[in-house]
Amino acid sequence: MKKMKKFLLLFLGVISMMFYTCTDLEEVLEDELSTEFSDDGVPDNSGETAGGVFPSGALAAAYGRLRNGSAGHGSYYSVQTVSSDEMAIGQKGGDWFDGGIWLDMHRHTVNSSNGPLNGTWVDAYGGIAETNLALESALSPGEAAQAKTIRAFFYWRLLDLYGRVKLITSSGSDAPQSERTAVFDFVEQELLDALGIPAVTASMDLSGSDLGTGSEPYIVNQFAALGVLAKLYLNAEVYTGTARWDEAMWAASYIIDNGPYQLCEDGCSVLNLAKRPNVASDPDQLSGYAAVFAPNNQFNPEMIWSIYYDESNAGGMNFSQMNLHYSSQQTFALDAQPWNGYQVLEEFYNSYDNGDLRKEANFLAGPQTDFDGADLLDYASDDPTIVVEYTPEISELEPNSVRQSGVRAKKFSFQLFGRPDMNNDYPIVRLGDVYLMRAEAMARNAGNWNMALPDVNTIRARAGLSPLASIDADGFFDERGKEMFQESSRRTDLIRFGKWGDSWWEKTNSDAFRTVMPIPQEQIEASGGTLTQNPGY
Amino acid sequence: MTQNLLRKILCSFFFVLGSILYAQTVTGTVSDAAGTLPGVNVIVKGTTNGAQTDLDGTYTLDNVASDAVLVFSYLGFKTQEIAVNGRSVIDVTLEEDVAQLEAVVVVGYGNQVRKEITTAVTSVSEEEFNKGVINNASQLLQGKVAGLSVYNKGGNPNDNGIIRLRGLSTVGGNTEPLVVIDGVLGQSLNNVDPSDIKNITVLKDGSAAAIYGSRASSGVILVTTKSGKSNQPFSVEYNGQYGVSDAINEVEIMDRGQFLATGGTDLGSDTDWVDEVTRSAFSQVHNIAMSGGAENTNYRVAVNYRDTEGILLNSGFEQLNVRGNFTGRLFNDKLRINFNSAFTQRDSDFGFNEALRYAIVYNPTAPVFGDDAPFAFNSDQFGGYFETLGLFDSFNPVSIAEQNRNAGATTTINYNADFRYSITDDLTATLNVGQQVSRTDNNQYYPTTAFFRGGAVSPFRKGRADFYSNEARTKTLELFGTYNKTFNDFFRMKLDGGYSFQENDFNENYLQVGDFPPGVDFDFSNAIEVSQDLNEAGRVIANSGRNDDDRIIAFFLRGNFTFDDAIYLTASLRREGSSRFGEDNQWGTFPSVAVGADLNNYLQLDNVSLLKARLGYGVTGAIPPGVGLSQTTFNVTNGAGGFGSSSTGIGTRLANPDLKWEEKRELNFGIEFAMDRLSATVDLYNRDIVDFITSVQIDAASNNGFTSQFQNSGELNTKGFELTVNYDIVRNDRVKYNMGLVASTYETVLEKNVGGDRTIANLGAPGQNDTEVILVREGDEIGQIWGPVFTGEVDANGTPILADINGDGNVVADQGSALAEDGDFKVLGQGFPDWEIGWTHQVQFGNWDVNAFFRGAFGHSMVNTFRVFYEPRIGSQSSYNYVNTDLARDDIRTAQFSSYYVEKADFLRLDNLTVGYNFDLNDDSFIKSARVSLTAQNLFTITDYTGADPEPAFQDLGAVDNGGNTGNPEVLAPGIDRRYNYFQNRTITLGLNVKF
Repeated sequence: MKKMKKFLLLFLGVISMMFYTCTDLEEVLEDELSTEFSDDGVPDNSGETAGGVFPSGALAAAYGRLRNGSAGHGSYYSVQTVSSDEMAIGQKGGDWFDGGIWLDMHRHTVNSSNGPLNGTWVDAYGGIAETNLALESALSPGEAAQAKTIRAFFYWRLLDLYGRVKLITSSGSDAPQSERTAVFDFVEQELLDALGIPAVTASMDLSGSDLGTGSEPYIVNQFAALGVLAKLYLNAEVYTGTARWDEAMWAASYIIDNGPYQLCEDGCSVLNLAKRPNVASDPDQLSGYAAVFAPNNQFNPEMIWSIYYDESNAGGMNFSQMNLHYSSQQTFALDAQPWNGYQVLEEFYNSYDNGDLRKEANFLAGPQTDFDGADLLDYASDDPTIVVEYTPEISELEPNSVRQSGVRAKKFSFQLFGRPDMNNDYPIVRLGDVYLMRAEAMARNAGNWNMALPDVNTIRARAGLSPLASIDADGFFDERGKEMFQESSRRTDLIRFGKWGDSWWEKTNSDAFRTVMPIPQEQIEASGGTLTQNPGY
Repeated sequence: MTQNLLRKILCSFFFVLGSILYAQTVTGTVSDAAGTLPGVNVIVKGTTNGAQTDLDGTYTLDNVASDAVLVFSYLGFKTQEIAVNGRSVIDVTLEEDVAQLEAVVVVGYGNQVRKEITTAVTSVSEEEFNKGVINNASQLLQGKVAGLSVYNKGGNPNDNGIIRLRGLSTVGGNTEPLVVIDGVLGQSLNNVDPSDIKNITVLKDGSAAAIYGSRASSGVILVTTKSGKSNQPFSVEYNGQYGVSDAINEVEIMDRGQFLATGGTDLGSDTDWVDEVTRSAFSQVHNIAMSGGAENTNYRVAVNYRDTEGILLNSGFEQLNVRGNFTGRLFNDKLRINFNSAFTQRDSDFGFNEALRYAIVYNPTAPVFGDDAPFAFNSDQFGGYFETLGLFDSFNPVSIAEQNRNAGATTTINYNADFRYSITDDLTATLNVGQQVSRTDNNQYYPTTAFFRGGAVSPFRKGRADFYSNEARTKTLELFGTYNKTFNDFFRMKLDGGYSFQENDFNENYLQVGDFPPGVDFDFSNAIEVSQDLNEAGRVIANSGRNDDDRIIAFFLRGNFTFDDAIYLTASLRREGSSRFGEDNQWGTFPSVAVGADLNNYLQLDNVSLLKARLGYGVTGAIPPGVGLSQTTFNVTNGAGGFGSSSTGIGTRLANPDLKWEEKRELNFGIEFAMDRLSATVDLYNRDIVDFITSVQIDAASNNGFTSQFQNSGELNTKGFELTVNYDIVRNDRVKYNMGLVASTYETVLEKNVGGDRTIANLGAPGQNDTEVILVREGDEIGQIWGPVFTGEVDANGTPILADINGDGNVVADQGSALAEDGDFKVLGQGFPDWEIGWTHQVQFGNWDVNAFFRGAFGHSMVNTFRVFYEPRIGSQSSYNYVNTDLARDDIRTAQFSSYYVEKADFLRLDNLTVGYNFDLNDDSFIKSARVSLTAQNLFTITDYTGADPEPAFQDLGAVDNGGNTGNPEVLAPGIDRRYNYFQNRTITLGLNVKF
């Protein structure tokens, strides 16, 4: 018995020592990054990445966030585009029904559970958080002003789409949901701060701004901030009930008068990367309007602020996948089979005059050919003579939208051997847009649409069209639509011109509350009551 | 740092200390006709001096007077009294008393006499195992244990199947039971050959499993492998099985004639694609075991070889497994050393389940080879095969199966050494150390002519090779003591307590390259240096991972108290920590208490041999599915140009330092009853799973842009009932006929869910993206299929008209409205079955025996995805074949999910029918015994389900299309019969067993 007690004591002793020695549960993550870092790196002076052209350091991540959803499927671009009269995603028999979310988006019957609306929201706040983080690190005044502009731009998207959102300005903090006017005021003030001015005026002096004036389109400069301000003021009446045409006009004029930019016209051209070696009719060069959006459109003189995309390091632009018919893979010898989704509405396509250079640049229409220029056959059909042809007419939105129906958007044009991620840069602010903003603001300010004619005709001339002698609101809307196609502008424009509730093709809903989208249901649930739904939804 | 080092040194010291223990006389082995008997009570008559035999049937008694009398008693056997007469070795053979009640059951850190068990434990021994070609140990148990569901949908030999005990017991953790092989925790059933298993014990309820703490929520499976016996002459046993399998019950589709009559595109041929990609599959299993033993040692070595073909072309596996087991005794049997080791080498051809899917969908008029196409077709580009190029998600299935390679090899080596030392008669100490190393290499190769994933259509980027490898190492150390004391006739107790340490290290690497020289018939996966991708780094896909220091450390204590040999009380406590939890919440406590009473001891009912009631309560846990989930992670973001600089970007998950184990609290009440020809066990349980772990969507605005976080986010409640009945219908000298039934039912309700109500399980492309068909709603049962209801009417477009369920005059059936107030959605079925049964018939007459085993599940429904996608007669997609079940309607021309595609999947299956013959042989002949048997697996199934297999789908791997891969299992989404499931097959097996 005694021996046993001794043993028990020893045993307990061993166990209690083990409590001390053998209870190490510290876990170090070895395959994931669990701490933050920032490295300015060695500037790469080769090729297009000449030092200083690209953002660096803490801001790199914030700029990188701009790519998310701006030119891909299922987020901001899709919401802005499919809800407008530019494009729809028809249900092609067994394909693309997707629970009706894209039919709802086009017919203006979305509700708060619509997935892409949540994607858009999350992408915007991801960008905002990244700029908040950047602003909390050691930035130069110039970098801080860039960060504020980027953040203001993300908030502008939220303001435009959802209206009432939370204004978060520091990492890890929460804020109450602001009314739309407060969000407007915030975005305005942030941009004015970045520009170092109290207000936009006809004779403003930007010399006190921390932002630069260089022409690199990937780094926010004074003109980029002014461009975002112009968009904000142009839509101020929609956002706040009070029009701000003067400021929109002054901001746009300042860019045109002082910026180093010019419209990309005849002499402005790039190599056509979609030129098929055996197809003589493919042009060797893309010039003018088409060059602005080409795969090799880096540093186009019209770009004021653009998002850098490339196929391997900066993915996110997927138009070739989203728009093209499966067989079009053979035309461009694409890396991956396209999805056959987005179709351009017939009425929109037909709004272009035949002589309009933008019609050729923006659309893929008619019979298609393969890599060698021969007819592109539809192998899925039993008739070997059937050629894939994008018809302007779309048979119906659902349920059996013919697979080849609807012309396809190719403004951001494709290149041979293209990958699912494309190389084209996507504009946030470009000079063509700025001309039209100035024109519209002037005309509305004066109450006379003919005031818009000089700028409108400048744009028309570039498109190879004769000048107009007079114009009205509808005419201007039409001109703007043709120029700004596929640039995520149409939804906002429809609302500003009071046409959002109109009927077109298979869309009839005119609910007045739908000028803002519903706050995503998932976010409302996750917020614990700090987010409430927009009226009507 | 110094302190850490000191801790490490001390820690190692204790590991070593455990193995050096000091030494101290009647011993012997107790056996019955079949072999040694563990757990036999041996008492010196008239004293309290007693012992129990161990697993090998040996016992040791100290302080025994030379004129004493030993009493050997064991439930189910006649008690024997034997005078010592000065002998020091007394071997005894006990005679069976009444029925064959298994007397000793392994319960984790020791064993327990069956009648003293206070918890829900089921033990299945070799004789009761399923027969035929068994590829995985879990199949041995299919339908044998009430409450244990084992499903291998379709029966792919490379799939392990899904094991669930009492339904879903964790959402974020491991849903499969903890496997303990010969005392070593956290093993895989893949590493033990089914032929080497002697017994499998399933710890079902919380009070039984609590001793295993934070990994035990999904139950515990204890595997005991076969071993040699002491004083047994060398013997050799051979087991062989030869089987052939054929695909049955395929998805009904159209043939050429039907397809053309429905408006299908005619490509000029007549091809039975299913037939093209399936085959009669042959399997063989050979098992040779050698065993023997001397007085102080025994051993067993087994070599297992299995070569199993799958019914899918180019699928199957080949496995060699060697297992050795050695036991030796030292110091007057005070020290027993047991050494187990196994080596497993498995070469698998996984094949491509996609070939089965596309065989269903592919145009039945399409030719296999391009030269037979009705138009000029560039066959060379596709390796001679035909492909439909203008279609989404359409690949020639024969080309997939024949051109591509999807193979893997896994090597596993493990060993464990178990040292048990008897310090006194009452006290033993056990040290168990073990290690396992396993390495897996999988690779896939798609030649330059493969349209499926191989890029054959790409003008300059053809071919693809994928390499994946991992290495996993597990170290285990356990040290525990057992104190066993009989105080008097009225009171006995047994205490166990100890320490447990386990560490897992895991490394993985993945590489994918492509762009090989076209026009060369060569497997470039062994020459990846020619990949042109290497010239452009952006195209190479590489990935690596390492999980280190993944530890679980525990202290445990258990007491068994027996009063009056009829009232049993068990209590246990485990204090356990895991490195996977948040730093503020790493340690958990898992207690249990259970009581059982042998009522018949007091009631003394006539003819009743057992009437026991038991009640147990226990807390177990589940750990997160991966390491580091409580920590935040960041992305690396390069400069906008992708060059020059980099910084952290907001990652995907926010840190949660409070993340803790999932906890399951379970109350179990059971009654065990046996009389004459009838025995039965009934269990009722109620389990609450609290703090289950899921990734929860968080408010992106106020959480720094993070969109998700792992949280202890919800609660489940399960109530269930289980029944086991055995009845001897005929029992005489010539014929024995026993019938057994196990049945179970349960219902699991989502009591709380921080993640919010939602629908999950997207059907996928083409056309059914954002179509989520499973409801996750607080207060509702889990696993409900949710969707709009088909009225039976079709409009002019061929679109099914959906029902206005809420009667508000509007049909709102778009998926965005699935949970909206005005939405017309309802529960269309339940993915989990209401009842699962196993029904066994065993007949013995003379040398013949017949075993028929039926298995069934009732009350579950399934979403038949093949029908949703391909049964509607969509005109514009006339190049896919149409699924053509009895439910097909020519007037439905639009594919849209509704109640029409949710089918009841009740079934009863003759799972296994075995006829065996035992040859009469003389005891002194060269061959000791011989048996031949013929087994048919899956002979027939009674069901109304029109899909390939009515077996419930317990979890969902997500939508897959256009050459994509399956995702992580979603356990809250049962009931979806996906398009990548294997076909059912029927197997006929000839078995041969010879002992020399």
